[in-house]
Amino acid sequence: MIGISKEGWKEIGFNLLSLFIAFLIWEIFTRYMNSPYFPSVGRIWGAFALLAKRGDVEGITLLQHIFASIVRILAGFGAATVMAIPLGLLMGLYPDIYKRTRAVLEPVRFIPPIAWIPVAIVLLVGFSRYAFLIWLGAFFPIFINTLVSVPRVNPIHVNVTRIFGAKRWYIIRKIVIPSVAPDMASGMRIGLGIAWMCIVAAEMIGGEMMGVGRLILKYAELIRMAEIIVGMLIIGLIGFLMNEIFLRVEKRLFRWRWEVSLD
Amino acid sequence: MSDGRKEKVKIQVSKSFNSLLVLDRLHFSVYENEFLVIVGPTGCGKTTLAHIIGGLYQPTEGQVTFDGEIISPKRHNLSFVFQEPSCIPWRTLWDDIKIGLEIKKSKPAAIQRRVKEMIELVQLTGFENYYPYQISGGMKQRVAIARAYATDPDLLLMDEPFGHLDAQTRYLMQIEITRVWEQLKKTVLFVTNNIEEAVFLAERIIILSRLPAHIKGIVPVDLPRPRDNISSDFLAIRSQITQMCETADEEKRG
Repeated sequence: MIGISKEGWKEIGFNLLSLFIAFLIWEIFTRYMNSPYFPSVGRIWGAFALLAKRGDVEGITLLQHIFASIVRILAGFGAATVMAIPLGLLMGLYPDIYKRTRAVLEPVRFIPPIAWIPVAIVLLVGFSRYAFLIWLGAFFPIFINTLVSVPRVNPIHVNVTRIFGAKRWYIIRKIVIPSVAPDMASGMRIGLGIAWMCIVAAEMIGGEMMGVGRLILKYAELIRMAEIIVGMLIIGLIGFLMNEIFLRVEKRLFRWRWEVSLD
Repeated sequence: MSDGRKEKVKIQVSKSFNSLLVLDRLHFSVYENEFLVIVGPTGCGKTTLAHIIGGLYQPTEGQVTFDGEIISPKRHNLSFVFQEPSCIPWRTLWDDIKIGLEIKKSKPAAIQRRVKEMIELVQLTGFENYYPYQISGGMKQRVAIARAYATDPDLLLMDEPFGHLDAQTRYLMQIEITRVWEQLKKTVLFVTNNIEEAVFLAERIIILSRLPAHIKGIVPVDLPRPRDNISSDFLAIRSQITQMCETADEEKRG
Protein backbone atom coordinates (compact mmCIF):
# COMPACT_ATOMS: atom_id res chain seq x y z
CA MET A 1 0.00 0.00 0.00
CA ILE A 2 2.66 2.50 1.04
CA GLY A 3 5.43 3.05 -1.46
CA ILE A 4 4.63 0.89 -4.47
CA SER A 5 7.75 0.46 -6.57
CA LYS A 6 8.03 1.16 -10.29
CA GLU A 7 7.88 -2.60 -10.90
CA GLY A 8 4.79 -2.75 -8.71
CA TRP A 9 2.97 -0.09 -10.73
CA LYS A 10 3.92 -1.88 -13.92
CA GLU A 11 2.46 -5.10 -12.57
CA ILE A 12 -0.74 -3.35 -11.55
CA GLY A 13 -0.96 -1.77 -15.00
CA PHE A 14 -0.62 -5.10 -16.76
CA ASN A 15 -3.21 -6.70 -14.51
CA LEU A 16 -5.69 -3.94 -15.32
CA LEU A 17 -4.94 -4.48 -19.00
CA SER A 18 -5.53 -8.25 -18.64
CA LEU A 19 -8.82 -7.53 -16.89
CA PHE A 20 -9.85 -5.18 -19.68
CA ILE A 21 -8.99 -7.78 -22.33
CA ALA A 22 -10.96 -10.45 -20.46
CA PHE A 23 -14.02 -8.17 -20.37
CA LEU A 24 -13.54 -7.36 -24.04
CA ILE A 25 -13.43 -11.04 -25.01
CA TRP A 26 -16.54 -11.69 -22.91
CA GLU A 27 -18.33 -8.77 -24.53
CA ILE A 28 -17.48 -9.90 -28.07
CA PHE A 29 -18.51 -13.44 -27.22
CA THR A 30 -21.89 -12.40 -25.79
CA ARG A 31 -22.65 -10.17 -28.79
CA TYR A 32 -21.86 -13.06 -31.08
CA MET A 33 -24.00 -15.52 -29.06
CA ASN A 34 -26.82 -13.02 -28.56
CA SER A 35 -28.58 -15.19 -25.96
CA PRO A 36 -30.10 -14.49 -22.51
CA TYR A 37 -27.82 -17.23 -21.13
CA PHE A 38 -24.78 -15.12 -21.98
CA PRO A 39 -25.41 -11.64 -20.56
CA SER A 40 -23.17 -8.84 -21.75
CA VAL A 41 -20.74 -6.99 -19.46
CA GLY A 42 -23.19 -4.10 -19.44
CA ARG A 43 -26.07 -6.31 -18.29
CA ILE A 44 -23.96 -7.89 -15.56
CA TRP A 45 -23.00 -4.43 -14.36
CA GLY A 46 -26.65 -3.41 -14.42
CA ALA A 47 -27.59 -6.47 -12.36
CA PHE A 48 -24.81 -5.65 -9.93
CA ALA A 49 -25.99 -2.07 -9.51
CA LEU A 50 -29.57 -3.17 -8.97
CA LEU A 51 -28.60 -5.87 -6.45
CA ALA A 52 -26.43 -3.41 -4.59
CA LYS A 53 -29.06 -0.68 -4.45
CA ARG A 54 -32.43 -2.30 -4.31
CA GLY A 55 -31.53 -5.81 -3.34
CA ASP A 56 -32.70 -9.12 -4.71
CA VAL A 57 -36.19 -10.48 -5.23
CA GLU A 58 -36.68 -10.46 -1.46
CA GLY A 59 -35.16 -7.05 -1.03
CA ILE A 60 -31.91 -8.25 0.54
CA THR A 61 -29.06 -6.06 -0.66
CA LEU A 62 -25.74 -7.29 -1.95
CA LEU A 63 -23.93 -5.87 1.07
CA GLN A 64 -26.16 -7.87 3.41
CA HIS A 65 -25.44 -11.02 1.42
CA ILE A 66 -21.71 -10.37 1.51
CA PHE A 67 -21.72 -9.60 5.21
CA ALA A 68 -23.65 -12.79 6.04
CA SER A 69 -21.22 -14.91 4.02
CA ILE A 70 -18.13 -13.30 5.54
CA VAL A 71 -19.42 -13.91 9.07
CA ARG A 72 -19.99 -17.61 8.24
CA ILE A 73 -16.62 -17.95 6.59
CA LEU A 74 -14.82 -16.39 9.54
CA ALA A 75 -16.71 -18.56 12.03
CA GLY A 76 -15.93 -21.82 10.20
CA PHE A 77 -12.39 -20.76 9.38
CA GLY A 78 -11.79 -19.52 12.92
CA ALA A 79 -13.00 -22.78 14.43
CA ALA A 80 -10.81 -24.70 11.98
CA THR A 81 -7.75 -22.64 12.90
CA VAL A 82 -8.29 -22.93 16.63
CA MET A 83 -8.60 -26.71 16.36
CA ALA A 84 -6.10 -27.50 13.59
CA ILE A 85 -3.10 -25.63 14.99
CA PRO A 86 -2.94 -27.25 18.45
CA LEU A 87 -3.77 -30.65 16.98
CA GLY A 88 -1.17 -30.27 14.23
CA LEU A 89 1.44 -29.18 16.78
CA LEU A 90 0.58 -32.05 19.11
CA MET A 91 0.78 -34.66 16.40
CA GLY A 92 3.91 -33.07 14.95
CA LEU A 93 5.61 -33.21 18.34
CA TYR A 94 4.38 -36.73 19.05
CA PRO A 95 4.40 -38.36 15.61
CA ASP A 96 3.27 -41.65 17.11
CA ILE A 97 -0.19 -40.20 17.74
CA TYR A 98 -0.49 -39.35 14.07
CA LYS A 99 1.01 -42.63 12.87
CA ARG A 100 -1.37 -44.63 15.01
CA THR A 101 -4.49 -42.70 14.03
CA ARG A 102 -3.68 -42.23 10.35
CA ALA A 103 -6.21 -44.82 9.26
CA VAL A 104 -8.93 -42.69 10.84
CA LEU A 105 -7.68 -39.22 9.86
CA GLU A 106 -6.52 -39.66 6.32
CA PRO A 107 -9.68 -41.08 4.71
CA VAL A 108 -11.72 -38.31 6.35
CA ARG A 109 -9.48 -35.79 4.66
CA PHE A 110 -10.52 -37.01 1.22
CA ILE A 111 -14.27 -36.86 1.76
CA PRO A 112 -15.35 -33.70 -0.07
CA PRO A 113 -17.35 -31.21 2.05
CA ILE A 114 -20.30 -31.62 -0.33
CA ALA A 115 -20.53 -35.30 0.62
CA TRP A 116 -21.14 -34.21 4.21
CA ILE A 117 -24.26 -32.25 3.31
CA PRO A 118 -26.79 -34.96 4.18
CA VAL A 119 -25.06 -35.61 7.50
CA ALA A 120 -25.06 -31.89 8.27
CA ILE A 121 -28.77 -31.64 7.43
CA VAL A 122 -29.63 -34.53 9.73
CA LEU A 123 -27.39 -33.66 12.65
CA LEU A 124 -27.11 -29.89 12.69
CA VAL A 125 -29.32 -26.85 12.57
CA GLY A 126 -29.00 -23.20 11.68
CA PHE A 127 -25.66 -21.48 11.88
CA SER A 128 -23.78 -24.64 12.85
CA ARG A 129 -24.52 -26.13 9.41
CA TYR A 130 -22.73 -23.29 7.69
CA ALA A 131 -19.86 -23.31 10.11
CA PHE A 132 -19.45 -27.08 9.91
CA LEU A 133 -19.17 -27.26 6.13
CA ILE A 134 -16.72 -24.38 6.01
CA TRP A 135 -14.79 -25.86 8.91
CA LEU A 136 -14.46 -29.11 6.93
CA GLY A 137 -12.88 -27.28 4.04
CA ALA A 138 -10.49 -25.15 6.09
CA PHE A 139 -9.39 -27.63 8.76
CA PHE A 140 -7.19 -30.05 6.87
CA PRO A 141 -4.92 -27.63 5.02
CA ILE A 142 -4.09 -25.92 8.32
CA PHE A 143 -3.73 -29.19 10.21
CA ILE A 144 -1.54 -30.90 7.61
CA ASN A 145 0.66 -27.85 7.04
CA THR A 146 1.34 -27.54 10.77
CA LEU A 147 1.85 -31.27 11.19
CA VAL A 148 4.46 -31.68 8.46
CA SER A 149 6.28 -28.51 9.43
CA VAL A 150 7.17 -29.59 12.97
CA PRO A 151 9.73 -32.25 11.99
CA ARG A 152 11.38 -29.67 9.75
CA VAL A 153 12.38 -27.47 12.69
CA ASN A 154 16.14 -27.01 12.45
CA PRO A 155 17.69 -29.26 15.13
CA ILE A 156 20.51 -26.74 15.61
CA HIS A 157 18.02 -24.16 16.82
CA VAL A 158 16.67 -26.71 19.27
CA ASN A 159 20.19 -27.56 20.45
CA VAL A 160 21.01 -23.86 20.91
CA THR A 161 18.36 -23.78 23.63
CA ARG A 162 19.00 -27.29 24.97
CA ILE A 163 22.64 -26.53 25.74
CA PHE A 164 21.45 -23.75 28.05
CA GLY A 165 19.18 -26.24 29.83
CA ALA A 166 15.90 -25.17 28.22
CA LYS A 167 12.85 -27.20 29.20
CA ARG A 168 10.54 -28.79 26.68
CA TRP A 169 7.87 -26.13 27.04
CA TYR A 170 10.38 -23.33 26.40
CA ILE A 171 11.59 -25.11 23.25
CA ILE A 172 8.02 -25.51 22.00
CA ARG A 173 7.16 -21.87 22.64
CA LYS A 174 10.36 -20.20 21.54
CA ILE A 175 11.71 -22.48 18.83
CA VAL A 176 9.06 -24.86 17.48
CA ILE A 177 6.15 -22.43 17.20
CA PRO A 178 8.11 -19.59 15.57
CA SER A 179 9.69 -22.07 13.14
CA VAL A 180 6.33 -23.54 12.20
CA ALA A 181 4.46 -20.21 12.12
CA PRO A 182 5.12 -19.43 8.43
CA ASP A 183 3.79 -22.85 7.41
CA MET A 184 0.79 -22.43 9.70
CA ALA A 185 0.09 -19.11 8.04
CA SER A 186 0.28 -20.51 4.53
CA GLY A 187 -1.96 -23.37 5.64
CA MET A 188 -4.41 -20.78 6.92
CA ARG A 189 -4.27 -18.91 3.65
CA ILE A 190 -5.01 -22.09 1.69
CA GLY A 191 -7.73 -23.00 4.21
CA LEU A 192 -9.36 -19.63 3.80
CA GLY A 193 -9.42 -20.13 0.03
CA ILE A 194 -11.08 -23.52 0.40
CA ALA A 195 -13.53 -22.04 2.91
CA TRP A 196 -14.75 -19.72 0.17
CA MET A 197 -15.09 -22.66 -2.15
CA CYS A 198 -17.44 -24.31 0.35
CA ILE A 199 -19.70 -21.30 0.82
CA VAL A 200 -22.25 -22.23 -1.86
CA ALA A 201 -22.53 -25.79 -0.54
CA ALA A 202 -22.94 -24.43 2.99
CA GLU A 203 -25.58 -21.90 2.05
CA MET A 204 -27.41 -24.50 0.02
CA ILE A 205 -28.44 -26.21 3.26
CA GLY A 206 -28.54 -23.33 5.72
CA GLY A 207 -32.12 -22.18 6.07
CA GLU A 208 -31.56 -18.45 5.69
CA MET A 209 -32.15 -16.47 2.52
CA MET A 210 -29.02 -14.42 3.01
CA GLY A 211 -25.52 -15.04 1.75
CA VAL A 212 -23.73 -14.78 -1.57
CA GLY A 213 -24.04 -18.51 -2.18
CA ARG A 214 -27.76 -18.30 -1.45
CA LEU A 215 -28.01 -15.41 -3.89
CA ILE A 216 -26.60 -17.58 -6.66
CA LEU A 217 -28.97 -20.43 -5.81
CA LYS A 218 -31.94 -18.07 -5.74
CA TYR A 219 -31.26 -16.75 -9.20
CA ALA A 220 -30.38 -20.21 -10.48
CA GLU A 221 -33.98 -21.19 -9.87
CA LEU A 222 -35.04 -18.18 -11.91
CA ILE A 223 -32.40 -18.90 -14.58
CA ARG A 224 -31.15 -15.31 -14.39
CA MET A 225 -27.57 -15.52 -15.59
CA ALA A 226 -26.54 -11.91 -14.95
CA GLU A 227 -27.28 -12.10 -11.22
CA ILE A 228 -25.68 -15.54 -10.96
CA ILE A 229 -22.51 -14.20 -12.52
CA VAL A 230 -22.53 -11.21 -10.14
CA GLY A 231 -22.64 -13.67 -7.21
CA MET A 232 -19.84 -15.75 -8.67
CA LEU A 233 -17.64 -12.74 -9.28
CA ILE A 234 -18.29 -11.43 -5.78
CA ILE A 235 -17.09 -14.71 -4.24
CA GLY A 236 -14.03 -14.69 -6.47
CA LEU A 237 -13.26 -11.07 -5.67
CA ILE A 238 -13.62 -11.31 -1.89
CA GLY A 239 -11.60 -14.53 -1.84
CA PHE A 240 -8.92 -12.81 -3.90
CA LEU A 241 -8.83 -9.73 -1.65
CA MET A 242 -8.64 -11.78 1.54
CA ASN A 243 -5.84 -13.85 0.04
CA GLU A 244 -3.93 -10.71 -0.94
CA ILE A 245 -4.28 -9.18 2.52
CA PHE A 246 -3.18 -12.44 4.12
CA LEU A 247 -0.18 -12.67 1.81
CA ARG A 248 0.89 -9.12 2.68
CA VAL A 249 0.64 -9.81 6.39
CA GLU A 250 2.58 -13.05 5.94
CA LYS A 251 5.39 -11.34 4.05
CA ARG A 252 5.67 -8.66 6.67
CA LEU A 253 5.52 -10.99 9.66
CA PHE A 254 7.93 -13.57 8.30
CA ARG A 255 10.34 -11.29 6.55
CA TRP A 256 13.18 -13.29 8.05
CA ARG A 257 12.10 -16.21 5.94
CA TRP A 258 11.43 -14.47 2.68
CA GLU A 259 14.52 -12.32 2.46
CA VAL A 260 17.55 -13.79 0.77
CA SER A 261 20.47 -14.25 3.13
CA LEU A 262 23.73 -12.46 2.41
CA ASP A 263 25.85 -15.58 2.16
CA MET B 1 49.39 -30.11 32.72
CA SER B 2 47.72 -32.05 35.47
CA ASP B 3 50.09 -30.41 37.96
CA GLY B 4 47.83 -29.05 40.64
CA ARG B 5 44.95 -28.33 38.25
CA LYS B 6 41.59 -29.73 39.00
CA GLU B 7 40.09 -32.36 36.73
CA LYS B 8 36.94 -30.62 35.54
CA VAL B 9 35.44 -32.88 32.89
CA LYS B 10 36.13 -36.59 32.71
CA ILE B 11 35.31 -38.33 29.44
CA GLN B 12 35.05 -42.09 29.11
CA VAL B 13 32.83 -42.90 26.15
CA SER B 14 32.18 -45.08 23.13
CA LYS B 15 29.56 -44.31 20.54
CA SER B 16 28.14 -46.28 17.67
CA PHE B 17 25.36 -45.51 15.24
CA ASN B 18 23.69 -48.85 14.61
CA SER B 19 26.61 -51.14 13.77
CA LEU B 20 29.01 -48.32 12.90
CA LEU B 21 31.49 -47.68 15.68
CA VAL B 22 32.31 -43.96 15.69
CA LEU B 23 34.09 -43.33 18.98
CA ASP B 24 36.22 -46.16 20.30
CA ARG B 25 36.80 -45.93 24.07
CA LEU B 26 37.87 -42.31 24.33
CA HIS B 27 39.26 -41.66 27.79
CA PHE B 28 40.58 -38.22 28.68
CA SER B 29 39.99 -35.26 30.97
CA VAL B 30 39.66 -31.52 30.63
CA TYR B 31 41.25 -29.52 33.45
CA GLU B 32 39.92 -26.40 35.05
CA ASN B 33 40.44 -23.26 32.94
CA GLU B 34 42.19 -25.31 30.31
CA PHE B 35 42.10 -24.57 26.59
CA LEU B 36 41.98 -28.08 25.18
CA VAL B 37 41.90 -28.65 21.44
CA ILE B 38 40.84 -31.86 19.74
CA VAL B 39 42.18 -32.33 16.21
CA GLY B 40 41.22 -35.05 13.83
CA PRO B 41 40.45 -35.60 10.17
CA THR B 42 37.01 -34.65 8.85
CA GLY B 43 34.37 -37.23 9.53
CA CYS B 44 36.22 -38.80 12.44
CA GLY B 45 33.42 -38.19 14.90
CA LYS B 46 34.68 -34.97 16.50
CA THR B 47 31.29 -33.31 16.25
CA THR B 48 29.63 -36.36 17.76
CA LEU B 49 32.14 -36.26 20.60
CA ALA B 50 31.51 -32.58 21.27
CA HIS B 51 27.74 -33.18 21.33
CA ILE B 52 28.17 -36.07 23.77
CA ILE B 53 30.35 -33.99 26.07
CA GLY B 54 27.69 -31.26 25.98
CA GLY B 55 25.05 -33.79 26.97
CA LEU B 56 23.18 -33.28 23.69
CA TYR B 57 23.74 -36.89 22.56
CA GLN B 58 23.98 -39.94 24.76
CA PRO B 59 27.06 -42.17 24.51
CA THR B 60 26.51 -45.83 23.66
CA GLU B 61 28.85 -46.81 26.46
CA GLY B 62 30.47 -44.95 29.31
CA GLN B 63 29.79 -41.47 30.56
CA VAL B 64 30.94 -37.88 30.79
CA THR B 65 31.18 -36.38 34.23
CA PHE B 66 31.51 -32.78 35.31
CA ASP B 67 32.91 -32.31 38.81
CA GLY B 68 32.15 -35.98 39.37
CA GLU B 69 28.51 -35.72 38.35
CA ILE B 70 27.06 -36.97 35.04
CA ILE B 71 27.03 -34.00 32.71
CA SER B 72 23.70 -32.42 31.78
CA PRO B 73 22.85 -28.99 30.37
CA LYS B 74 20.03 -28.80 32.90
CA ARG B 75 22.41 -29.14 35.86
CA HIS B 76 25.62 -27.60 34.55
CA ASN B 77 26.38 -24.27 33.04
CA LEU B 78 27.46 -25.17 29.50
CA SER B 79 27.75 -23.36 26.20
CA PHE B 80 28.24 -24.62 22.68
CA VAL B 81 29.34 -22.88 19.50
CA PHE B 82 28.01 -24.99 16.66
CA GLN B 83 29.79 -25.68 13.42
CA GLU B 84 26.78 -24.82 11.27
CA PRO B 85 25.22 -21.36 11.25
CA SER B 86 23.07 -21.34 14.36
CA CYS B 87 21.55 -17.86 14.59
CA ILE B 88 17.82 -17.93 15.30
CA PRO B 89 16.39 -16.36 12.14
CA TRP B 90 13.43 -14.62 13.79
CA ARG B 91 15.50 -13.03 16.56
CA THR B 92 17.52 -9.86 16.32
CA LEU B 93 21.19 -10.12 17.24
CA TRP B 94 20.39 -8.66 20.64
CA ASP B 95 17.62 -11.17 21.33
CA ASP B 96 19.72 -14.01 19.99
CA ILE B 97 22.68 -13.27 22.25
CA LYS B 98 20.46 -13.04 25.31
CA ILE B 99 18.73 -16.40 24.76
CA GLY B 100 20.92 -18.31 27.21
CA LEU B 101 20.41 -15.70 29.91
CA GLU B 102 16.69 -15.74 29.18
CA ILE B 103 16.57 -19.53 29.65
CA LYS B 104 18.62 -19.28 32.84
CA LYS B 105 16.17 -16.62 34.06
CA SER B 106 18.65 -13.82 34.69
CA LYS B 107 17.24 -10.49 35.83
CA PRO B 108 16.39 -8.06 33.00
CA ALA B 109 18.90 -5.48 34.18
CA ALA B 110 21.66 -8.10 34.32
CA ILE B 111 20.73 -9.37 30.85
CA GLN B 112 20.84 -5.82 29.52
CA ARG B 113 24.30 -5.24 30.93
CA ARG B 114 25.74 -8.58 29.92
CA VAL B 115 24.46 -8.54 26.32
CA LYS B 116 25.84 -5.06 25.84
CA GLU B 117 29.22 -6.24 27.09
CA MET B 118 29.19 -9.24 24.76
CA ILE B 119 28.22 -7.15 21.74
CA GLU B 120 31.17 -4.87 22.44
CA LEU B 121 33.44 -7.88 22.89
CA VAL B 122 32.66 -9.32 19.45
CA GLN B 123 32.46 -5.84 17.95
CA LEU B 124 28.89 -5.90 16.74
CA THR B 125 27.88 -2.56 18.29
CA GLY B 126 25.31 -0.86 16.08
CA PHE B 127 23.93 -4.13 14.74
CA GLU B 128 21.79 -4.99 17.78
CA ASN B 129 18.50 -4.75 15.91
CA TYR B 130 19.61 -6.56 12.78
CA TYR B 131 18.28 -9.97 11.82
CA PRO B 132 20.60 -12.79 10.75
CA TYR B 133 19.57 -12.47 7.10
CA GLN B 134 20.89 -8.92 7.13
CA ILE B 135 24.44 -9.73 8.23
CA SER B 136 27.42 -11.66 6.87
CA GLY B 137 28.50 -15.19 7.76
CA GLY B 138 31.41 -13.99 9.86
CA MET B 139 29.13 -11.73 11.87
CA LYS B 140 26.70 -14.59 12.45
CA GLN B 141 29.50 -16.70 13.85
CA ARG B 142 30.45 -13.85 16.17
CA VAL B 143 26.85 -13.73 17.36
CA ALA B 144 27.04 -17.45 18.12
CA ILE B 145 30.26 -16.90 20.07
CA ALA B 146 28.84 -13.93 21.99
CA ARG B 147 25.76 -15.98 22.84
CA ALA B 148 27.96 -18.80 24.13
CA TYR B 149 30.06 -16.46 26.28
CA ALA B 150 27.12 -14.47 27.59
CA THR B 151 26.07 -17.08 30.14
CA ASP B 152 29.56 -17.22 31.58
CA PRO B 153 29.75 -21.01 31.12
CA ASP B 154 31.78 -23.38 33.24
CA LEU B 155 32.53 -25.36 30.11
CA LEU B 156 32.62 -23.83 26.65
CA LEU B 157 32.42 -26.29 23.77
CA MET B 158 33.41 -25.05 20.32
CA ASP B 159 32.89 -27.30 17.33
CA GLU B 160 34.94 -26.01 14.39
CA PRO B 161 33.49 -22.59 15.07
CA PHE B 162 35.58 -20.90 12.39
CA GLY B 163 35.23 -23.58 9.74
CA HIS B 164 32.95 -21.54 7.50
CA LEU B 165 34.91 -18.31 7.74
CA ASP B 166 37.33 -16.90 5.22
CA ALA B 167 41.04 -17.04 6.09
CA GLN B 168 41.26 -13.43 7.25
CA THR B 169 38.20 -13.45 9.48
CA ARG B 170 39.27 -16.81 10.81
CA TYR B 171 42.64 -15.41 11.84
CA LEU B 172 41.04 -12.42 13.54
CA MET B 173 38.61 -14.66 15.37
CA GLN B 174 41.44 -16.88 16.58
CA ILE B 175 43.24 -13.89 18.03
CA GLU B 176 40.00 -12.67 19.55
CA ILE B 177 39.20 -16.01 21.12
CA THR B 178 42.59 -16.33 22.80
CA ARG B 179 42.27 -12.77 24.07
CA VAL B 180 38.86 -13.53 25.52
CA TRP B 181 40.05 -16.80 27.02
CA GLU B 182 43.02 -15.11 28.67
CA GLN B 183 40.67 -12.47 30.02
CA LEU B 184 37.91 -14.72 31.30
CA LYS B 185 39.84 -17.97 31.92
CA LYS B 186 37.16 -20.42 30.99
CA THR B 187 37.42 -24.14 30.51
CA VAL B 188 37.33 -24.52 26.75
CA LEU B 189 37.09 -27.60 24.60
CA PHE B 190 37.74 -26.66 21.01
CA VAL B 191 37.33 -29.05 18.08
CA THR B 192 39.02 -28.52 14.73
CA ASN B 193 40.48 -30.30 11.72
CA ASN B 194 43.05 -27.57 11.23
CA ILE B 195 46.41 -28.37 12.83
CA GLU B 196 47.71 -24.83 12.62
CA GLU B 197 44.62 -23.55 14.37
CA ALA B 198 45.09 -26.16 17.07
CA VAL B 199 48.69 -25.16 17.74
CA PHE B 200 47.77 -21.50 17.69
CA LEU B 201 45.06 -21.89 20.33
CA ALA B 202 45.71 -24.89 22.54
CA GLU B 203 47.34 -25.48 25.87
CA ARG B 204 47.04 -29.14 25.09
CA ILE B 205 46.11 -30.98 21.90
CA ILE B 206 44.43 -34.37 21.64
CA ILE B 207 44.91 -36.05 18.28
CA LEU B 208 42.16 -38.35 17.09
CA SER B 209 42.50 -41.06 14.45
CA ARG B 210 40.22 -41.79 11.56
CA LEU B 211 37.00 -43.73 12.14
CA PRO B 212 36.48 -45.35 14.58
CA ALA B 213 38.13 -42.51 16.47
CA HIS B 214 40.60 -43.30 19.21
CA ILE B 215 43.25 -41.11 20.82
CA LYS B 216 46.41 -41.06 18.76
CA GLY B 217 48.37 -38.84 21.08
CA ILE B 218 48.29 -35.90 23.44
CA VAL B 219 50.65 -32.95 22.89
CA PRO B 220 51.07 -30.05 25.32
CA VAL B 221 51.74 -26.70 23.67
CA ASP B 222 53.76 -24.48 25.95
CA LEU B 223 54.33 -21.44 23.77
CA PRO B 224 53.96 -17.82 24.87
CA ARG B 225 50.92 -15.89 23.69
CA PRO B 226 50.09 -14.26 21.36
CA ARG B 227 51.62 -17.03 19.32
CA ASP B 228 53.75 -16.49 16.29
CA ASN B 229 52.73 -19.02 13.69
CA ILE B 230 56.02 -18.83 11.81
CA SER B 231 58.35 -19.18 14.80
CA SER B 232 60.49 -22.31 14.77
CA ASP B 233 58.92 -23.66 17.99
CA PHE B 234 55.46 -23.28 16.52
CA LEU B 235 56.45 -25.01 13.31
CA ALA B 236 58.15 -27.83 15.24
CA ILE B 237 55.00 -28.66 17.17
CA ARG B 238 52.95 -28.31 14.04
CA SER B 239 55.05 -30.79 12.08
CA GLN B 240 55.12 -33.15 15.06
CA ILE B 241 51.32 -33.26 15.07
CA THR B 242 51.13 -33.53 11.30
CA GLN B 243 53.43 -36.52 11.51
CA MET B 244 51.30 -38.12 14.22
CA CYS B 245 48.24 -37.72 12.02
CA GLU B 246 50.02 -39.32 9.09
CA THR B 247 51.32 -42.30 11.05
CA ALA B 248 47.81 -42.82 12.25
CA ASP B 249 46.81 -43.30 8.65
CA GLU B 250 49.68 -45.62 7.82
CA GLU B 251 48.89 -47.83 10.75
CA LYS B 252 45.44 -48.28 9.36
CA ARG B 253 46.73 -49.27 5.95
CA GLY B 254 49.26 -51.68 7.44
